[in-house]
Amino acid sequence: MSDFGFHLAFWSLASVTVGGALMIIVSRNLIHAVIFLILSLLGVAGLYLTLSADFIAVVQILIYVGAISVLMLFAIMLTPRVERDNSETRLRYPAAIIMGMVLTATVFVALDTDWGEVRGAALGEQARLIGESLIREYVLPFEIGAVLLTAALVGAIALAREDPEDAVVHAASLRQEAAGPASDEPEQVSDPAPSVGDGSGETEAAPSGPASAGSPAGGSGAR
Amino acid sequence: MTIGLEEYLVLGALLFSIGLYIALAKRNAIGVLMGVELMLNAVNLTLVAFSRFSDSEVALSAQVFVVFIIAVAAAEVAVGLALALVVYRNRQTVNLDKTDLLKW
Repeated sequence: MSDFGFHLAFWSLASVTVGGALMIIVSRNLIHAVIFLILSLLGVAGLYLTLSADFIAVVQILIYVGAISVLMLFAIMLTPRVERDNSETRLRYPAAIIMGMVLTATVFVALDTDWGEVRGAALGEQARLIGESLIREYVLPFEIGAVLLTAALVGAIALAREDPEDAVVHAASLRQEAAGPASDEPEQVSDPAPSVGDGSGETEAAPSGPASAGSPAGGSGAR
Repeated sequence: MTIGLEEYLVLGALLFSIGLYIALAKRNAIGVLMGVELMLNAVNLTLVAFSRFSDSEVALSAQVFVVFIIAVAAAEVAVGLALALVVYRNRQTVNLDKTDLLKW
């Protein structure tokens, strides 16, 4: 690798990465912030390539740029437009102080320590080597990771799924709050009746939850 | 000037600090998750840099670690976004200033 090309690649990728991360702080729209996050993650993938880690770079693009960013965009799309503000809380200055302290400490350690670095030849056939070590010495963490991913999948579905009975109870409690504590009994009895009459309980009960709360229509589409 | 381990470590430190600031200061729950993702990426970058500038025979372990970290980050972001949706559905906001039910 020619030295000039390597310098050009490193500094341009580093500026793209850090610039994208800084633009996340600056941009006021959350959608733009996710776009800049994608840019920053792509820069990190390019930096992996400059470190001769080709498999990690491909995994980074597949999982971060491909999956996680799309998931974040979905989550933003499922909340209404008023929730797309990306401003800071009043903790901005304490957070900036903590950030400065962490940055100073880590940069000092990075520059002051004698790492004894050796720039040897890059590892070849990394996908094969990583795959082999995943099923040899790291087989137990690999299996635990599989269990963790399954648990996260089931947990995410269980959290994001709106149970139809819960929705009815939730709507009843919200209506109860709105109407006052006196008139709770007839409301709860009358609420499941139309959903039974229409046949499909799940599609009927869900819109009654946010609609009776007087919320914007984006809430019912959030499933 | 050659680009060695220090440049990558300083870059990782910078990225980690920016992610820390975003995670601490952002008002939106999804913004905080983005900060956490940036911090995890900074750690991954540091690990891959250590793996590159080492001649140990276990240098590949750092890349295996990175694969595990990416898997855990994917699980974390899936559960985190589901939590954000549930918080929005129950409280009609994802503003972390207004999500203070468990505050003393």
